[in-house]
Amino acid sequence: MAYVFQRILTMVPVLFFLSVMVFGLIHLIPGDPAQVILGQEATPEAIAQMRMKLGLDQPVPLQYWHWLQHALAGNLGQSLVDGEPVSHLIAQRLPVTIELAVGTILVALLIAFPFGILAAVYRGRWLDAAALFTSTVGMSVPSFWLGILLLIGFTVKLHWFPSSGYVPMWQNLGQNLHAMVLPVVATGVREAAVLMRMLRSSLLDVLHQDYVRTARAKGLYGWVVIIRHALRNALIPVITTGGLQIAGLLGGLVITEQIFALPGFGSLLVQSVFSRDYTTVQGATLVAALLVVVVNLVVDLVYGVVDPRLRLGKESR
Amino acid sequence: MKRKTMVAALALLMGSGALTACGGSGGTANQTGNQSGSQAPAAVSSDTLTVGLSADPPKLDPKLSTALVDRQVMINIYDTLFTIGPNNEIEPGLVEKYEVSQDGKTYTFHLRHGVKFQDGTPFNAAAVKFNIQRDQEKDSLQRSYLTPIVGIDTPDDYTVVLHLNKAYSPLLALFTDRPGMMVSPTAVQKEGADFVNHPVGSGPYEFKERVKGDHVTLVKNPDYWQSGQPHFNTVTYKIFTDQNVEVANLQSGQVQIIDTMPAQQVATLSQNPNFTVINQPGFGFQGLYLNVKQAPFDNKYLREAVELGIDRKALVDTVFKGAASPGYTPFSQASSAYNQAQDTPPQPDAAKIKDLLAKGGKPNGFTFELQTAATPVSVQAAQVIQGMLSQYGIQVQIKQLEFGTLLDNADKHNFQAAALGWSGRLDPDQNIYSWFHTDGSQNDEQYSNPQVDQLLDQARSQLDPQERAKTYSQIMDIIHDDAPYVFLYHQNNLIAYNKHLTGFEYRADGLLRLATVSAQ
Repeated sequence: MAYVFQRILTMVPVLFFLSVMVFGLIHLIPGDPAQVILGQEATPEAIAQMRMKLGLDQPVPLQYWHWLQHALAGNLGQSLVDGEPVSHLIAQRLPVTIELAVGTILVALLIAFPFGILAAVYRGRWLDAAALFTSTVGMSVPSFWLGILLLIGFTVKLHWFPSSGYVPMWQNLGQNLHAMVLPVVATGVREAAVLMRMLRSSLLDVLHQDYVRTARAKGLYGWVVIIRHALRNALIPVITTGGLQIAGLLGGLVITEQIFALPGFGSLLVQSVFSRDYTTVQGATLVAALLVVVVNLVVDLVYGVVDPRLRLGKESR
Repeated sequence: MKRKTMVAALALLMGSGALTACGGSGGTANQTGNQSGSQAPAAVSSDTLTVGLSADPPKLDPKLSTALVDRQVMINIYDTLFTIGPNNEIEPGLVEKYEVSQDGKTYTFHLRHGVKFQDGTPFNAAAVKFNIQRDQEKDSLQRSYLTPIVGIDTPDDYTVVLHLNKAYSPLLALFTDRPGMMVSPTAVQKEGADFVNHPVGSGPYEFKERVKGDHVTLVKNPDYWQSGQPHFNTVTYKIFTDQNVEVANLQSGQVQIIDTMPAQQVATLSQNPNFTVINQPGFGFQGLYLNVKQAPFDNKYLREAVELGIDRKALVDTVFKGAASPGYTPFSQASSAYNQAQDTPPQPDAAKIKDLLAKGGKPNGFTFELQTAATPVSVQAAQVIQGMLSQYGIQVQIKQLEFGTLLDNADKHNFQAAALGWSGRLDPDQNIYSWFHTDGSQNDEQYSNPQVDQLLDQARSQLDPQERAKTYSQIMDIIHDDAPYVFLYHQNNLIAYNKHLTGFEYRADGLLRLATVSAQ
């Protein structure tokens, strides 16, 4: 518990540093929110008026200070473009991306585990070769390409799945899952390929260690050894990779969101950068950073569950 | 079947924003689509109409709206005082009849009786006065269009008299657009600043709810004044950030009508018997700003050399494949100021260009930087222009920028040449005045010619469209000679809908007016 608390404390400077960085960087990008909001026909007076209304006429450090004060009080401000509270926008968009990321990892695990284990066990045989070949293909096919193929094949041609029409899970679970199948598969395949390779090589490493040989010598059956003894130790690098993948997915699903018209967090972030919606960019990056830090923490805690040697505290001595 | 899927996938990929970075070289694969689309036409619900929109409408209040896409939704929530007819004439809307005084300074509007806003508030002279005054408030973004109105009288419940400080010919056309959209005064007073999220008008559909970035839902206005309209109980606008995805959703049956599509998809979709494709000139134009206060384009001869060196027809054929028309003025075929002879671009003339370069002191050519938006189509157009001009020794360095940055550079005159056009408006004044008037808000090229200023103001005071058109022709002669802006083409409105929809009435502003649309 103390460990968790300590980890959370170290997050504070990270997040602070990040917020300063983002604030500085977004103000460095050429382009003025007032100009983008008002468009081409804007008169200089209208732009000046709008800048004043948005508080952009104040010095940047002062703007940051105002933002920070509000953010510490839990208020991320309002979107410069449409006045919607940023926290509301994030709350609307984040569940979509989290669902997409979790689904992606589930698909990845469902593919990676059986094939990764089989490939390691039957190393050098046709099954291994086939699995390796498939994973190379899986890694080389960009998810947007696969997404577009799935979109055209399964929605335009076959009408098996809807091509858009996301519904939140709590409104209609069936419809929600129906709309999520294709996006999750489109991104899951690639992640599966990465995970499978990681699992295969890590398992191969473990299978050659003495304790596995000992277990086998004790007369245990092959699969029991593999699943109960070898796999557990082989999981550590896989969990590390999986954690990094989840963190990467939270911001990296923009194109999938675009192809399947999902109102996700990634597209919120991209759109808000394009429209110079400073407050939304600021709030969204902060939340994204927070998520990455939390995912890392969870991964570290999972290590402890999987491998007793890594547990902190009394029992580790 | 498999091959077709691949072709369609390629088309999608090439146009897809995902490939922006390496765009430009593709675009031929989709030309092979000579098959008739064989997939079963998706059934259309008579209860709900789903409309594909290419962007999220930021503000559904006519007073605060600036985005083009806002108008797509607003035109169905709000009625306008006047409306656009099939031949781009101004037709009665909420104003049934009107009179203009001889001097053009007094307009009398006779309002339609028996119209109610969706919240039950009666539509009357007081409501019109409230709306115009609201659009003239300091924080209104329609303020600059309505400055000539200095007084509003309401002699009775259904008569409004507008007093202008000078004759102002664009006025009625402006009332077909945002300044003419009537909002409910009661709702504005009730909602205050939150009206933008709870818009109330008198149009065929009422606002129900929205999820930013995903959809906007409207429902039938049961008391709509046009009997028998509208036809659907619900209209849902679904937002797509990628136009190719929007087309795929039309094909899959998820949406029944789309507001736009990539030019490369027009040919393929037109051949599909399940869809109707509208490919008609809008009011807009595209071209290049040349910064007349900065080298090399502070030199008139060099501007003219660029203007004459571009083969517009070849450009349009290569990049737009029939989804745009070559142009040489801001006025397309749809405009009342259209002048066919003047809008026909000259053919490049090598001898003349050589002569211009010599006169400009650069007989061997020169180099300039062209800033353009980093979209596949804009970049491809810039590359075609680059190729054309290089024949004359004019070297173009293309600089791709994100749109917000491009807009900012243009506004700050921080460019040599910038590819930026205009979506266009019904009244010709709205497509020329602010570009070439010395004080114009879109005069990014910093052009100033007292004679042009005077003629632009004169056109505003001419009420007879034919007289005005003559003035605009005079202005265009001068502008062609000075060449501060290189007109290239008029983009078309590209709309597509499911064959099972009937009653859609196209107008050149490209807006999807849904009151008359029904399912078969």
